[in-house]
Amino acid sequence: MPNIEDYEAMTKISLSEDEKTIVSGYMNMLLDSFKKLEDTDVSGVVPLISVLDVKSPMRDDVAIKTISREELLSNAPEQHDGYFQVPRTVD
Amino acid sequence: MGIFIEDYNVSGADTVALEDSIMQKGKQVTAGSKILDNFVSPFNATVVDRLLDGGFKISGRTVMDEFGLLKLSHDDNNTPSGAVRAVSEGISAYALCNDLFGRYREEAPQYDCCYIHPTYGTVSRYGLIPLASSLDQIGIVCRDLSQGFGLLSHLAGKDPKDGAMFPDSKYCYGKTDEKITLGIPRSVIEKADADTRESIMDFINKFSSTDIDLEYFDLYSQVMYILSSAEISNNLSRYDGIKFGYRASGYTDIDDLYTKTRSEGFGLDAKLTAIMGAVVLSKDHYGPYYEKAMKIRRLIKESINFDTYDVIVLPCKISDDPYENLALYSLAPLAGLPSVSFSYKGYGIQLVAGVKKENLLLSTWEVSMA
Amino acid sequence: MKYETIMGLEVHVELATKSKLFCACSTEFGSDVNENVCPVCAGMPGTSPMVNRKAIELAITAGLLTNSEISPRITFDKKNYFYPDLPAGYQLTQLFAPICKNGWVEIETDAGKKKINLVQIHLEEDAGKLIHDDWMDTTLIDFNRASVPLIEIVTRPDFRSAEEVVAFLEKLRSLLSFADVSDCKMQEGSMRCDINLSVREKGSDKLGTRTEIKNMNSLKAIAAAISYESQRHIDALETGEEVLVQETRRWDDSIGATFSMRGKEDATDYRYCPDPDIMPVFIDDEWIDAVRSNLPETAQDKFIRLTQKLGLPEYDSEIITRSKNLSTIFDETLQYYNNPKEVANWIIVELLSIAKGDNKGEDDVRIDCQKFAKLIELVDGRTINRNVGKKILSLILEEGIDPVEYVEKNKLGMINDTSLISSTIQEVLSENPKALEEYKAGSKKVHGFFVGQIMRKLGGKANPQIINKLLTEALKEI
Repeated sequence: MPNIEDYEAMTKISLSEDEKTIVSGYMNMLLDSFKKLEDTDVSGVVPLISVLDVKSPMRDDVAIKTISREELLSNAPEQHDGYFQVPRTVD
Repeated sequence: MGIFIEDYNVSGADTVALEDSIMQKGKQVTAGSKILDNFVSPFNATVVDRLLDGGFKISGRTVMDEFGLLKLSHDDNNTPSGAVRAVSEGISAYALCNDLFGRYREEAPQYDCCYIHPTYGTVSRYGLIPLASSLDQIGIVCRDLSQGFGLLSHLAGKDPKDGAMFPDSKYCYGKTDEKITLGIPRSVIEKADADTRESIMDFINKFSSTDIDLEYFDLYSQVMYILSSAEISNNLSRYDGIKFGYRASGYTDIDDLYTKTRSEGFGLDAKLTAIMGAVVLSKDHYGPYYEKAMKIRRLIKESINFDTYDVIVLPCKISDDPYENLALYSLAPLAGLPSVSFSYKGYGIQLVAGVKKENLLLSTWEVSMA
Repeated sequence: MKYETIMGLEVHVELATKSKLFCACSTEFGSDVNENVCPVCAGMPGTSPMVNRKAIELAITAGLLTNSEISPRITFDKKNYFYPDLPAGYQLTQLFAPICKNGWVEIETDAGKKKINLVQIHLEEDAGKLIHDDWMDTTLIDFNRASVPLIEIVTRPDFRSAEEVVAFLEKLRSLLSFADVSDCKMQEGSMRCDINLSVREKGSDKLGTRTEIKNMNSLKAIAAAISYESQRHIDALETGEEVLVQETRRWDDSIGATFSMRGKEDATDYRYCPDPDIMPVFIDDEWIDAVRSNLPETAQDKFIRLTQKLGLPEYDSEIITRSKNLSTIFDETLQYYNNPKEVANWIIVELLSIAKGDNKGEDDVRIDCQKFAKLIELVDGRTINRNVGKKILSLILEEGIDPVEYVEKNKLGMINDTSLISSTIQEVLSENPKALEEYKAGSKKVHGFFVGQIMRKLGGKANPQIINKLLTEALKEI
């Protein structure tokens, strides 16, 4: 069983004791069910990333302004002088 | 629980309710999650622009499960979703949703409604708050499939803002005179309860049919869960309390800001999915889980070739366990196929057709309703 | 030398596109904070990345210039981690199908020519900018730079000295700036270099512990960091006092040392996976050929043309081809006045020295080439003298005056009138008897003093050659 604390750290989520119990329970169940995959022979099979078989469309290199800074910052939980603001982050 | 988060008090035959995962400019959009608290969308989803252009009116924004995630726990207190209630109670003619895990396909028939899950890549996902980008598709709750397809014809078609689409600019949905052969996966139908089986057999008798074997059915749930949880986990990473949405208070540093915000803002299903998605993508597990699931996905897609049959019939429920039941609703998104569900003689039936073969679904339904 | 230092580079280069890699926001340098941000690059949900064709073309260009194999089908992948400058919680990059592989760049150092092999070149998006404010104990985020297109150039560990690293970066800068792929300015951050370094005893085939050094903002800093870090490794190996650990270290230019970043990056599991919203981009031979045929002249080819076709001295050609900006000024000016030697001379001697006074380097000086050409023609054609020309050059740079109009309006035409000059000479000689005595006594430098005085009396406009000739004659007669 993967160490659940590693994945909490990876996803920046901190589970309460109760949540940890429930999540561990599901994780166990799911990983156990994933064992079924082991018996399937996939030699020579190319992974499928998208069901579509299309080329990527591409954009011309033209600069277009979509929203104003005011609109952008209107959703910001914390801002200062036009910047988004967070606690002092160590490099 | 109410139906609407926002009710625009509009009625009529051309009203469309929007699940709260669909962007509407100037409106609060939360996708049923606290983590998007106070988020006001700066743009419209393409489907919103198109339905307004088509003369439809938006009746309101409906209550939904957090992000539309799969609920692995049994829900004894089974209240129908906002979208299905809006249509079944006659408040709105249609509702738009993202039915990744089959909640709406299962529920709609229970409340005398139908659901259309279109071919992947025919309806723009621009402005849909995603679950899993390679699996999501905006679909329609409606009372009557032919009306639902009428709405769909306004929504479907190439969108320059969504790069993952077929090139077709327009789709026309209508009956077809083609003779339809049903594909019957007996081993799956056998898992449904007796009454459902009876109803399905009655349905099948109206058509010619052939027995088929869904070769990888026993792996559908696993493959679906692995692939969707990985993509959902990545799509949830943007919720960090920095640019928009909920932000915790009382944090000590940046790491604490992330963790408190996400722990307080996400519900249990979101946390579980985020963590499981990280597990299947992590260094040691990528090969045996995620990559393998992608390969089996290709095998699944290639195993359904519609050579001796046109439309696959499936029940809407084979188990009380949501994870087991998920298998029924996974084929369509995994293979990018269109699917509909509706009530036949009081029991839910699901149909799946080939890529862009929605007309066969419509025709099959019409024959059965005759 | 008992030890050898082995290095590989990861160079990030900002592509010179007008818009970002996956959205249409402007990439303009110096824009006001958060003015060039949209729902896509701000990480809002429900948005779709849209690939910038020009970014792909510039990456193809970089591949062609480095003799790389260009992939016919490329995809983009998510690199997942949390950091405030990363709006989506993942960076779009290329792990599984990078655009270029197996290229090489030839460098030249005092030791001779050497081939540096590349592992790959791949496209990725840049992150936003963080400004740390210790006073307010806060960090401020500007997303203008988020999703600006970058190419990352990864070399094999072929470097053995700081000299080689510097030569490579200069060559890379020359190749990419001349092809308009990027302006490659380290001080502005459009070219950044991380170095993977290890040390081993000469003759050994085992690789030592590797450290990565970051945060060098100039070639000088790179040389200093390499010197410091390799010595740190050597000291560790010799004395055993410090134990070398595979980690990332940050160069601090003010202190002149590297500091551990606590191995944070090595511990992270990035959970790379393909991005299912971005369909594959196909690069066919037709596209590659079109890019190849539109490649601008390289610095090397320009040097050959300047020296062999236009007959410029190697010294001049070297200076001009060191900078894309100077080359462009040279070529454009030449279009208006076809005298390569004069144009080169005016750029190298006059233009650069005025620019230096304004604290502008060869990459930043800007001038209206048509006006510049007119000026050069005026001096070359002896309409005005060189000193007047220099003053007018300043005015062209500061005020954008038209030289021909200015000369006419201010009557700055060179005085060639020999009788006027002669009489002025006589005036000066008679007004300066003491200097004349010094001249008679044998002082040669007094000649220069007389020239200065004569020129002054004639408003600085006299033909210096005529002054010299007539003055020399006049002095002979005394």
